[in-house]
Amino acid sequence: MFSPAVARSVVALSSLAALAGCQAGEVAVDQPRMSEDEPREEKVDRDQDRDRDRDRDPDERDERRGDDDAPRMDQPGAGLADGTYQAGGGYQSPNGPETIEVSLTITNGVIEEVSVTPGATSSTSKRYQGDFAGGIAAEVVGKSLDEVDVTRVAGSSLTSGGFQEALATIRQDATVG
Amino acid sequence: MVAWRFNAIGVPWSIDSEEAIPDSLRELVLSRVEEFDRAYSRFRSDSLVTAMARTPGDYDFPPDLPALLSLYEDLWSASRGAINPLVGQAMDHWGYDANYRLEPLPGEPPIIPSLRETISVTGSSLHALRPISLDIGAAGKGFLVDTVWALLRDQGVTELVVDGSGDIRHSGGSTERVGLEHPVQTDRVVGVVELDNASLAASATTRRSWPGAHHILNALTGMPTKTIQASWVVAEDCAVADGLATALFTTTPDELARFFGFEWVILDQDNRIYASENFPGEVFA
Repeated sequence: MFSPAVARSVVALSSLAALAGCQAGEVAVDQPRMSEDEPREEKVDRDQDRDRDRDRDPDERDERRGDDDAPRMDQPGAGLADGTYQAGGGYQSPNGPETIEVSLTITNGVIEEVSVTPGATSSTSKRYQGDFAGGIAAEVVGKSLDEVDVTRVAGSSLTSGGFQEALATIRQDATVG
Repeated sequence: MVAWRFNAIGVPWSIDSEEAIPDSLRELVLSRVEEFDRAYSRFRSDSLVTAMARTPGDYDFPPDLPALLSLYEDLWSASRGAINPLVGQAMDHWGYDANYRLEPLPGEPPIIPSLRETISVTGSSLHALRPISLDIGAAGKGFLVDTVWALLRDQGVTELVVDGSGDIRHSGGSTERVGLEHPVQTDRVVGVVELDNASLAASATTRRSWPGAHHILNALTGMPTKTIQASWVVAEDCAVADGLATALFTTTPDELARFFGFEWVILDQDNRIYASENFPGEVFA
């Protein structure tokens, strides 16, 4: 289930994990911030993230790591109170600004679980899921050309006379035959 | 205001400009278009690609060959092989051949080879190791729109719209409002784009379609695509817009955005319409 691309992305996000820990530590001195807290915008290394984004399969971006697979990032979590922490980060992808949310669960001072959820700021992740998952797009309505003020239209190219003649012949054959 | 209309590569073209276009420049444009057609048309018996489909060897193409193939390499990479200019033989299989057979042959379509294993290119000279059928249908018309646009701009025609039957490049001070034609109900539009010094290309499977097939194939399978009905892409270059409009039939915008910057609209098979966040226009949904 965990392809190399996923493993790479999660390990590389250890910097964000550290970020999450720091934020929580600063804001909530004794009490962990719970997951409903509002995510913050943070800048992370842009070039690195752009490269990483290119390597990553979009379908695999939203992955939770199980206990056994989770990298044991003892350093970033050390000294933090147990609980679930959450932080947001932003970076520049080739497709425009993207956000991600990182959620950490700390047990006995050690990061036990990391989950990374991509945000929905980019055009493509928000509106198009590849398989046209339901509820994302709207039924097309369309307008009559009379209703809109345009100087020209763009659709598929008009076909040549030869193509149309051939198609007419085929249709005729189909009818006769 | 000049409105110049002509037919080229099998479709009507329209060029509108503020500046006059002298006859000598028109002749230059038309001869470039003819040169392009004679080199790349799979539907002409006297073209280079027709000869190359029969006989391997060396062929001298126009000087723009490396730029065209470079774009196709990028499209091939971005689509992970689904867009490939060597789909010509598979097109023949499905009936989209020089005679417009428009009837699929029995059996499976042929395996589509990759560029690297079949050709080598030195400058604009192409060496075919075996008979190959080059088909630049995905991006060729947009590429030619760019060529014509650049020829005119270089001669001082700057307030300009070059419209190669739906593949459009605009430059100048005032934006151009273009309707996105419904692929079936062609008296209707599904949206409007405000073209501002950019290009728009459209693709749909409805017009070039016949019993059993249509003209957009996934090169990995050799099969006609089944995902969407129509696509529109806005990009700086018309060749890129054209190629991506085709690539959206095989590959998601996310995937393509790893290689290209563009905005898009997609109409899927269930009449749902999708637009990129920053699409410069609106869709009617």
